Amino acid sequence: MSEFSIVGKRAERKDVRSKVLGKALYAGDLYRPGMLHGKALRSEYPHARIISIDTSRAEKLPGVHAVMTHKDIPGINRFGLAILDQPVLADDKVRRMGDAVALVAAETVEIAEEAIRLIKVEYEELPAYFTVEAALAEDALPIHEGGNLLQHTKLRKGNVEEGFAQSDIIVENVYQTQRVDHAYIEPETSVAELDHEGNLTVWSSTQYPFRDRRQIAPVVNMPSNKVRVIQMTTGGAFGGKDDITTEIQAALLAVKTGRPVKVVWSRQESMVCSTKRHPMKIFIKTGATRDGMLMAMEGKIYSDKGAYCSIGHFITKKAGLHLSGPYHIPHIKVDTYAVYTNNTICGPYRGFGILQASFAHESQMDLLAEKLGMSPLEIRLKNALKVGLSNATGQVFEHSVGFYETLKRAEEYMKTHPLEGGVE
Amino acid sequence: MKKRGRGIGCNLYGIGYGFNRPDHSAATVDVTDDGTVIVYSGCCDMGQGSDTVLCQIAAETLGVPYEDVSIVSADTGRTPDAGASTASRQTYVSGNAVKKAAEEVKAKLLEFAAEMFGCEPEKLDIKDGKVFRKDDPSDFMPFKELAKDAHQRGKQFIAFGWYDNTTKDVDQETNQGDAYATYIYATQVVDVEVDTETGEVTVLQVFAAHDVGRAINPMNIEQQVEGAVAQGLGYALMEEIILKEGRTMTPGFNKFLIPTAMDVPRVITSIVEDPEPKGPYGAKGVGEGAIIPTAAATINAVYDAIGVRITELPITPEKILKALAEKQ
Amino acid sequence: MKKLKLIVNDVVYELETRPERRLLDVLRDELHLTGTKEGCSEGECGACTVLIDGKPADSCLVLVGQVDGCHITTIEGLSDGNELHTLQQAFIKAGAVQCGYCTPGMILSAKAVLDQNPNPSEEEIRKGLSGNLCRCTGYQKIVDAVRLAAGELSAKTGKGGGN
Repeated sequence: MSEFSIVGKRAERKDVRSKVLGKALYAGDLYRPGMLHGKALRSEYPHARIISIDTSRAEKLPGVHAVMTHKDIPGINRFGLAILDQPVLADDKVRRMGDAVALVAAETVEIAEEAIRLIKVEYEELPAYFTVEAALAEDALPIHEGGNLLQHTKLRKGNVEEGFAQSDIIVENVYQTQRVDHAYIEPETSVAELDHEGNLTVWSSTQYPFRDRRQIAPVVNMPSNKVRVIQMTTGGAFGGKDDITTEIQAALLAVKTGRPVKVVWSRQESMVCSTKRHPMKIFIKTGATRDGMLMAMEGKIYSDKGAYCSIGHFITKKAGLHLSGPYHIPHIKVDTYAVYTNNTICGPYRGFGILQASFAHESQMDLLAEKLGMSPLEIRLKNALKVGLSNATGQVFEHSVGFYETLKRAEEYMKTHPLEGGVE
Repeated sequence: MKKRGRGIGCNLYGIGYGFNRPDHSAATVDVTDDGTVIVYSGCCDMGQGSDTVLCQIAAETLGVPYEDVSIVSADTGRTPDAGASTASRQTYVSGNAVKKAAEEVKAKLLEFAAEMFGCEPEKLDIKDGKVFRKDDPSDFMPFKELAKDAHQRGKQFIAFGWYDNTTKDVDQETNQGDAYATYIYATQVVDVEVDTETGEVTVLQVFAAHDVGRAINPMNIEQQVEGAVAQGLGYALMEEIILKEGRTMTPGFNKFLIPTAMDVPRVITSIVEDPEPKGPYGAKGVGEGAIIPTAAATINAVYDAIGVRITELPITPEKILKALAEKQ
Repeated sequence: MKKLKLIVNDVVYELETRPERRLLDVLRDELHLTGTKEGCSEGECGACTVLIDGKPADSCLVLVGQVDGCHITTIEGLSDGNELHTLQQAFIKAGAVQCGYCTPGMILSAKAVLDQNPNPSEEEIRKGLSGNLCRCTGYQKIVDAVRLAAGELSAKTGKGGGN
């Protein structure tokens, strides 16, 4: 019998009945009296200075209640998960396709979209950088003040030169990963409303209402105790709703119009405007002795941040800290570089940089195994982190390092489930 | 020709924010006057099941039926701040916050009960909705009666729990140090069949062993693992946001393809429990770790099947055919 | 504007509306049946699946003028009050729900599969659900739920078999 009453049990989910009944309320299911619909005009250039914005025609369209540009923001025109590097509405320039330039609140989504088409923006195109290499070139214009290299981190454990000298086999490769979308089925959605006392409520599809509030309040120029953010039932997030998406847009329009405003990103906006998983280029060199013991690993990771940080500097750093995988390696040297480009923003997505890292370290393990005439399982069992062995940051755990057991489970599975028709 | 292969992928994942980033959670546990319980937590459940897991932890700690525990979550006007639902941190960090709050409530309840039982609070315990003497479990009182009695005397059983998972900072120059409070680990095995004529990869089956510390809810863990494997296979085989000079060329589900029910194989989940002493009931986490090894194992399986190593994701049929042609 | 009759979940609605409105918008904005979800607006994700005269359809692609006089079933019409339909029970039992956003559409597509074939194979279930995207579950527990429901439904109707 288990020592626990309910821990360890397949307890029925608290949310499941309302969900199978179709009664669970997502942000988009809110319909407030007098509610308007918000839409954003988005940049069609990846890097350009804004010369002028003409909203006069949009303002005259019947059914339009507000047209806003950066000049109409009551507070600061910046937000960002970790660094305030992102304008709510582009002011001096746009840094990617999809930067919001103006907002409209209207009676219907159709009217809001029509009004968006009536706004004229004059741009002066700037050179744009779509690869890490181009953005880091000496003559590249800075996308942000402070330059295009957002962050460089270093990991140094032991002495890699020594480690490679002690290695009999060295495998070196370059791995490249792609940009992908979270693709939650519920698009980004918020509804915002001012109450009779001037308090602002934002109902949202989010991963962290408190940080949303921290970013909304200074933009609408209200104290935090007048702003309430409520997470509605959320249709998947996977990191993509960690950043501000629709929250500030809805809040600004609600404050401006005094009416409830719903902002739902279309699937296209979601694909273009929400954060993505970082493409990373990973240079990695791994050395092992003849009997398969890992001795050294040296790596460099370049991550394409896109136009804004989100939390990509930590993601890139974390990828670096995990590049040696769940193995004990005495000598490690890793450098990571997070680089601004004029691409779609990259940010948190389930795995937080470690998918990219594991693609590299696990490919390396198989390459080494093959050269050493070992099975992929054998080389992993030999080098597995265990209690008492140091990981990449030199940290040693006395408990709960269950990696070896996951390998043993895999071994058992492979024995009992031989691959039919597999290559011997 | 169709060729089959098997690949292994492994990973570790440091849960929580790590390297000295503030990593806290707070929760309040309130025993109402009829003995049902409300957990107030700022933790967002986006489908991963944290509402359920936090209620299980509260029920276990208080010794009341799970059915009697409900949760109010993620509302800045009503709940304390639990940090973000990211970094596979909520079971661990918010789980601890809820546990601490529930422990304090339980201690207060036992103190009150001790007066009624005429004994020391240490002599009493609560389990399955009953307050009882440890030395004589037949001497008990229903938890609900105790709660009702207490409230009639103006007592309130509400407590605030706070858990700090902030780690020490690592050395800035070397990144050496205790970066994360704990790590989760995994091994996955992916079986594939590659059509060497078309370059298409079919995934036959996936085995996924994950060290989660302790499974608070094994069903939730299977859900997380099965879904993560599907996402990981999408990442490995088909998904890519294609940009052309900054413009998204794949702005819909007709261009950015994600796996359908036809694309995802059976996943066999194997839960490894190597309890973490600092975790609530030994739990660590699972959500992010579950997706990490899938693409790596798939790449290795494709290599096992056809002897070509793809170094650029995703593994599209075009890349496979090109690599096969180069090999010959 | 046009006068239209919709029979939604066995309730007759007489509406005066533009026939080119999407059925999805009429269901949600007009009839307040918000269980039907919008995920992509282009018929790719299946979150807005409803049954029209028993056949599954993406309500974001259907104009309300096209369904004048039709019987429409939404997720709200599946349960009898709070009494769950066998499929809804099976989704709970099998653990087929996470974020829940695809769930209403998924359950209706599953119903269409079972209405057509009370004892479908796993392959047939997967095919029948292939128009409904889910990003949380990996589909395994959804497929298990449909098999479970098939077994229970055929046991109820005395047709035997099915697991």
